[in-house]
Amino acid sequence: MKLYEYVIRRLITLIFVLFVVSFIVFYLARGFPSAISPWAPYIHPKMTTEQIEQVIKEHGFDKPLTEQYFYWIRDILRGDWGLTGTWANGRPANEVFFRHFPYTVELAIFGTIITIAIGIPLGIVSAIKNNRLPDHICRVIALAGYSTPSYWFGFILQLIFFFYFSLWGLPHLPSSGASDLEVTKITGIPILDGLLTGNLAFVQDEFLHLILPSFSLAFISLGFLARIVRASMLEVLRQDYIIMARSKGLKDRVVIYRHALKNALIPAVTLIGLFFASLLGGAMITEYVFSWPGVGQQALRAVMQGDSNFLLIYSFVFAIVVVSVNLVVDIIYAFLDPRIRYQ
Amino acid sequence: MQGQVGEVRKGELEARLADIKYMLHIFRKNALVMVGTAIALFFIVIALLANIIVDPKLAYPEGYPNNMYPFERKYMWNANHLIQWGTQVALYHGPEFFPLGTDGWGRDLFKMIILAIPVDLYNAAIITVTAAVFGTLLGAIAGYVGGKIDELIMRVTDVFFAFPSLVLALVFAAMFGRTLETLRLAIMLVWWPTYARLMRGQVLSEKEKLYVEALRALGVGHIRILLRHIIPNAIYPILVQATMDLGGVVLTFSALMFLGFSPSPALPELGNLAADGYAHVFDAPWVIIFPGLTMLVMSLAFNLVGDGLRDVLDPRLRR
Amino acid sequence: MTKNENPPLLEIRNLKVNFHTYRGEVKALNGVYLKIYPREVLALVGESGCGKSVTALTIIGLLPDNAYVLSGEIIYKGRDLLKLSKEEMRLLRASELATVFQDPMTYLNPVLKISTQLEEVFMLHEDSLKEAVVTEKVEGKDVGYAEFLAMKGNPKALLFENHRVSRGEVKRMARKLCVDVLRLVKLPDPERILQQYPFELSGGMRQRVMIAMALARRPSLFIADEITTALDVTIQAQILHLMRELSEKINMSTLMITHDLSVAAEVADRIAVMYGGNVVEVAPTIEIFKNPLHPYTTLLMEAIPNILKPVDTLKSIPGTVPEMINPPPGCRFHPRCPYSMDKCKKEKPELVETSSGHEVACHLYGV
Repeated sequence: MKLYEYVIRRLITLIFVLFVVSFIVFYLARGFPSAISPWAPYIHPKMTTEQIEQVIKEHGFDKPLTEQYFYWIRDILRGDWGLTGTWANGRPANEVFFRHFPYTVELAIFGTIITIAIGIPLGIVSAIKNNRLPDHICRVIALAGYSTPSYWFGFILQLIFFFYFSLWGLPHLPSSGASDLEVTKITGIPILDGLLTGNLAFVQDEFLHLILPSFSLAFISLGFLARIVRASMLEVLRQDYIIMARSKGLKDRVVIYRHALKNALIPAVTLIGLFFASLLGGAMITEYVFSWPGVGQQALRAVMQGDSNFLLIYSFVFAIVVVSVNLVVDIIYAFLDPRIRYQ
Repeated sequence: MQGQVGEVRKGELEARLADIKYMLHIFRKNALVMVGTAIALFFIVIALLANIIVDPKLAYPEGYPNNMYPFERKYMWNANHLIQWGTQVALYHGPEFFPLGTDGWGRDLFKMIILAIPVDLYNAAIITVTAAVFGTLLGAIAGYVGGKIDELIMRVTDVFFAFPSLVLALVFAAMFGRTLETLRLAIMLVWWPTYARLMRGQVLSEKEKLYVEALRALGVGHIRILLRHIIPNAIYPILVQATMDLGGVVLTFSALMFLGFSPSPALPELGNLAADGYAHVFDAPWVIIFPGLTMLVMSLAFNLVGDGLRDVLDPRLRR
Repeated sequence: MTKNENPPLLEIRNLKVNFHTYRGEVKALNGVYLKIYPREVLALVGESGCGKSVTALTIIGLLPDNAYVLSGEIIYKGRDLLKLSKEEMRLLRASELATVFQDPMTYLNPVLKISTQLEEVFMLHEDSLKEAVVTEKVEGKDVGYAEFLAMKGNPKALLFENHRVSRGEVKRMARKLCVDVLRLVKLPDPERILQQYPFELSGGMRQRVMIAMALARRPSLFIADEITTALDVTIQAQILHLMRELSEKINMSTLMITHDLSVAAEVADRIAVMYGGNVVEVAPTIEIFKNPLHPYTTLLMEAIPNILKPVDTLKSIPGTVPEMINPPPGCRFHPRCPYSMDKCKKEKPELVETSSGHEVACHLYGV
């Protein structure tokens, strides 16, 4: 019963947020003089003046801004997200967006997996050996990751693993882009499609291309996760039920993994969710540095060109993603902590 | 009536002084944090003295912006330098010594980095302080007043959280032009919601405490309670967050510069300097490596201090 | 009263324990002497902060990191517990020393089911469980908790040779014993309780579950640290009744820690009174109520309101509990003692036996 209410309330928030977000972006994009006139993506040089007038009337470009907003909403509901500028060959904005989105998803999944795989153990070790040498080492690693400029780390990785490795004759990783090989589309997510069609050559190639950018992303956030896990773990280890577990004569390892961990991970789950959501927004800088054909890279170009149509669909999808991920996180929360379930 | 409130405040003051003494004691014990503080102070000193040590005009080569590349020293590395990058690097055999090589304009990278430090720190400080103050006040009001105002402010922060932060800053900057002021404003817009949420949570729990009830019973007004009692007690996590954010904001600021939003291409700023080396990462790696490294150490120092502060201010450790 | 002729199960000698705090060293235990005999219930009584729980934690080896033992011995079945390794202590906690704590809400893991938390205690004794399974098969009779208890210390290794026991069978036996032991602590519908989480049970039920967890270890020493304090009076009575029954049925000693003399009077064979980190008096229950020797004990007795003789003001002991960072020198009670002499300020009195079974630490008694 409660879950139902919860979901409904979340959906309402989502709609509210979507409206406000869209209005802000719309206003920012169309309301200010920019290099491209808003109707530029809809026309091409061969059109006559009447045809141009036609387009303008059709999409309401001649009306005041607030009215334009409603024209725009109408367009969206019809599936017309507008066209992009010359930077994307004037293709429809949603086509451009969804062509690049799967790559961002790939990166997000891998980045999150690495973050979890390294960040959580780091935090646990830090907490168990609190204030001793392993803790200090972990702390420096965690904070170093957190303090690293994203544009810098990507290049360092490329420098070492691509350039110098090949210079020294070592096997090296590709420096940029995604795999050039072909793969048949099923889900749209390249590496998944590769697995599903048994195209192992592709999977391997894509995987190699994914390693550096994913690691670059992960390095920066695993520190934060590790600190949260550490703090949470320390808090849990202070609890009475841990003393109880020890007094039962349970082995240390059992106490930590069966009793402490489940409790400690609860706050970490929210963080992981937030992180995954923000990655789905496209890690702009990492995609830029590695020429990864994801949505973030496209958004960057869109901003530079003042292309509001693309930015709008981008913001929209991102808002939906954030609210959905939050919802999923809450469900996982309820799964982990029975107290919430039965409330 | 005044006397009783005065007693409460005197008691609070004494308790707070004792707290601070204890916290400094713990702080000093943590070697890592002390290192961080030392480095942070070092950077602050450099920031303050930078324009004295290095002539700021060196950042803008002769004849700039018309005659952009006057020197024949672009992307050069000293031939007799300790570090050897490989054969693809252009070597400089001239009389001057560039400890960290030269950048695309032929400027001494080492000197440019020194000039860049105050730019980054200063902007980061302004942004952080403004975002913190604004966010904290809004959050405190939301938490204390509650009801519709709280809902409203929380929805607003929701909206800001739903934006990918870099995009919002970029859009803003793209719309309003590439000046330092717009960039600062853009980042502030993205950063303040965290403080609002944080402060709201703190105020909500402080509100329930007995001393607030006592003060109300003594007839002290709401605003006074909020400003003089609740906020000072709830401020610790904000301080931690602000210190760590100094490290974070400086990263965002330089990242935006890196992406091309600097007001002038020659501005000495760590991200901007790194952007110059983007196309030359393999044959002139120092242009990216050293500014980035400086940024890392600077940010790390502040994060260490903030992290140490967080450990120290953890109320459960205060036994 | 032949208990005193058997050697004690546990003997604590001159135990001194300090805590590091940022304000200074807290001298929590100042030379504790205590003896617990087999099959008896010994109550350890005292105000909060006098060191009762610290004593318990020291026995089971779970002092917090900032605590350290200065000196002393804890002899249990011939071994000094303070000299054992962490692993050895862990094994002892798994099979000999069981502790039940004060607040069952915080001492039970909120995210794990009762079955998980109870079964894991039985699963620590896989060998015994396997033996139980084999016994069931070979002798054809049902092995419940009572039989399991009896099997302790009587391993029938021969049975093992010819029978292989699967993990599933071991788990099933553990589950069966869980149900059985929950019945033993008078919990209705044990199967259902096993599937629940701690927050779904009432305070009294949770405390019984904790007791069941202790019994699952078949302990020789059962330490109950303020187990009734967090419960209301009626439940308290039920739990105490249960404790009395158990101590009669099962061959174990119980160390009952409490600040409530009436609780002690309900269940204990002997009572030990603690003050300021020392044991100041030990005597059989009736004896100590009839003839309290130590001034502190006497004042405690006087402070108990008598339902038959109501008074206007309750009698209390003047002064407050000593501050443990700079405790009073000599006898720690002297600032509040109506009989204090010069000697009391300088010398700490030793615990000596005045008459059969009655020990006291006070200069009044010629020490």
